[in-house]
Amino acid sequence: MSESRMIPFLPRIAGLMCGVLLVAALSGCQSEPARFKQNAAYKLKMERANMGSDEGSPTALSDAVTSDIGNILEALFGTPDAPKLPAVEGLELEQLVDVKGLQAAAGPVASDRTGAAQGLYREHCVHCHGITGDGNGPTASFLNPYPRDYRMGLYKFKSTKKGEKPTEDDLRRIVNNGIPGTAMPSFALLPEAEVDALVDYVKYLSIRGEVERGLLTETTNLDEKARLVSAADKAAQQEQVAVVKDIVKNVLERWDGAAAAVTSVPPRPTLSKQELAASVKHGRELFYGAIANCVKCHGDSALGDGQTTDYDEWAKEFITDGKDAKVVSTYVSLGLLPPRTIRPRNLRMGVFRGGMRPVDLYWRIMNGIEGTPMPALATNVRQASDPPEAKKLEPNEIWDLVNYVESLPYEPINDPLKAAHEAELFRERNL
Amino acid sequence: MVPILGVGTFVWAMAGLWPMEDHWLPENINAHGAVIDNLFLFILVLTGVIFVATTVAMFWFMWRYDSATTATPVSFTHGSHTLEVVWSILPAATLVFIAIYQMNAWADAKMRRPKLDSGEIKPPLAEITGRQFEWRIRYAGEDGVVGTPDDIQIVNDLHLPVNEEIVLSIKSTDVLHSFFLPNLRVKQDVVPGMKQFVWFLPTKVGVYDIVCAELCGWGHYKMRGRLTVEPRDKFDAWLAQKYGEQNQAQYAPPPAEEAE
Repeated sequence: MSESRMIPFLPRIAGLMCGVLLVAALSGCQSEPARFKQNAAYKLKMERANMGSDEGSPTALSDAVTSDIGNILEALFGTPDAPKLPAVEGLELEQLVDVKGLQAAAGPVASDRTGAAQGLYREHCVHCHGITGDGNGPTASFLNPYPRDYRMGLYKFKSTKKGEKPTEDDLRRIVNNGIPGTAMPSFALLPEAEVDALVDYVKYLSIRGEVERGLLTETTNLDEKARLVSAADKAAQQEQVAVVKDIVKNVLERWDGAAAAVTSVPPRPTLSKQELAASVKHGRELFYGAIANCVKCHGDSALGDGQTTDYDEWAKEFITDGKDAKVVSTYVSLGLLPPRTIRPRNLRMGVFRGGMRPVDLYWRIMNGIEGTPMPALATNVRQASDPPEAKKLEPNEIWDLVNYVESLPYEPINDPLKAAHEAELFRERNL
Repeated sequence: MVPILGVGTFVWAMAGLWPMEDHWLPENINAHGAVIDNLFLFILVLTGVIFVATTVAMFWFMWRYDSATTATPVSFTHGSHTLEVVWSILPAATLVFIAIYQMNAWADAKMRRPKLDSGEIKPPLAEITGRQFEWRIRYAGEDGVVGTPDDIQIVNDLHLPVNEEIVLSIKSTDVLHSFFLPNLRVKQDVVPGMKQFVWFLPTKVGVYDIVCAELCGWGHYKMRGRLTVEPRDKFDAWLAQKYGEQNQAQYAPPPAEEAE
């Protein structure tokens, strides 16, 4: 009975729903423009430092000071859609980044009238490295190792020593070659101009992150109720602006000085087959020896199992004990990824993340790897000023170590059963 | 409308008229690729003709025996033995023909590996490893064997000499991928744990695509490489340059420029 009365209603309901959907579709979805995230984890660390102890909950930074930092950063560095770099006396901005490249890398993905791509960072990088360059994009938690957090200004695979910034060539090499053994892909097929724009944008995010950290550190010097930049007190404002300018200048000068700080690499001696075998043998002695002592971390078998309980600098800054669930969950809720111990490299795999060229291996051994427990051997290499009895390596012995490391992946012991069982391991077809 | 539009789309695309330019098969530069295109075209034409014929017949029957214009009642037949034999034998014969026609093409592409003049199997020029989400390429280097210290390792940028029979060994380090060279009509799934070989003869210099043709994860859509086919001397020069870059064993800072 009710059936015959329902049917006339159906077309009307269907029509009404179509109308509603049409209105919704035509009105469109506006999404909010992207915004940088504040460095909440470092903020908590500074709040704790302010308090003077790790016990109890620290007083949060006042909203006024937090918004001060946000305003200063926006005034200096702009937004993800409209980036800019602050100008500093004595520093040509064009030396650091190409502003046009920065614009091309920023903003939403699009293409301009000439067909040139815009929004390169969001097209290629943001899903791992995050909009703020914090290494915590949407796909970051699935990756091992985690993507780089640029905000500390620490970089692993570079030609400069610890404490110096990477050069543009270093960054370009990583973007072009990717990092084998990780999820960082190679962007060699992009036009050179786009790769340069991305490198500039990474520098920009890094500089911004470091200035943010500088400003947050500065808040520990503030009196209670004081502002970072007070609107009212003009006299104090001058001094405060000078402090901010100083913070920016220090960061920019570091980046500017990177190109001049590259570690020179003396030419590797060309060796005959016997000489190379002798060099590899000597390198092995150094590997196990007391000065280089590589086996301490890389293990007696060079499989990377010497020590497995240390953390990298990005985690160690906040979390010294990865098993303390409370500390970990506090910082994870503030935007960090769950900390993982950092494993020394398994040298028998032949996968060298920072590059497999002899210069790359020389730089890794000589300068260590920043952000990790891999130490620099440079302090143990003889200089002209050293007394003759000092127990140090000769500069050429680094090449012996490099030769040994290069030989490790090809040692027959790596895969003793391979020859015997190759047919079972690989199902070869079409022979 | 649907069958007419469907056939029309195909014809338009094959003719390459606007807006369907470049929508037909990509350029084939493999000397052994023509047979695959011929097979494709043959099957397309065969099925196309049968499709048109059966659709036309179906619509004619619908028009001719529309109840609005015909009063004759339906009469049921008990089947025609002859008709059933004919329409079983003819398609079977056609399919057997296609099967035999393609056997040789399949064997050439998948089973008969090229041989050297000496009669031995030709060793691969490079080993391509599919990895999420890139193609890692490892040239055999001077000793001609992949897996030795003189190998040249590159990502996504494959160069090959023109007018030579090329053999590549392909494998995967993680999940299923598929090594697809559209312009060479070469496509082979790479299966983790399985080492396979593909071979072809590029005949034209140029830059072409390498694409992944098996869904391998979120980055499958951009798992793209670049294939450059170039003359032998240019290829050798490029390989030597890459070997030199890979073996850079010194760095001296450039001489300081005079401050202005």
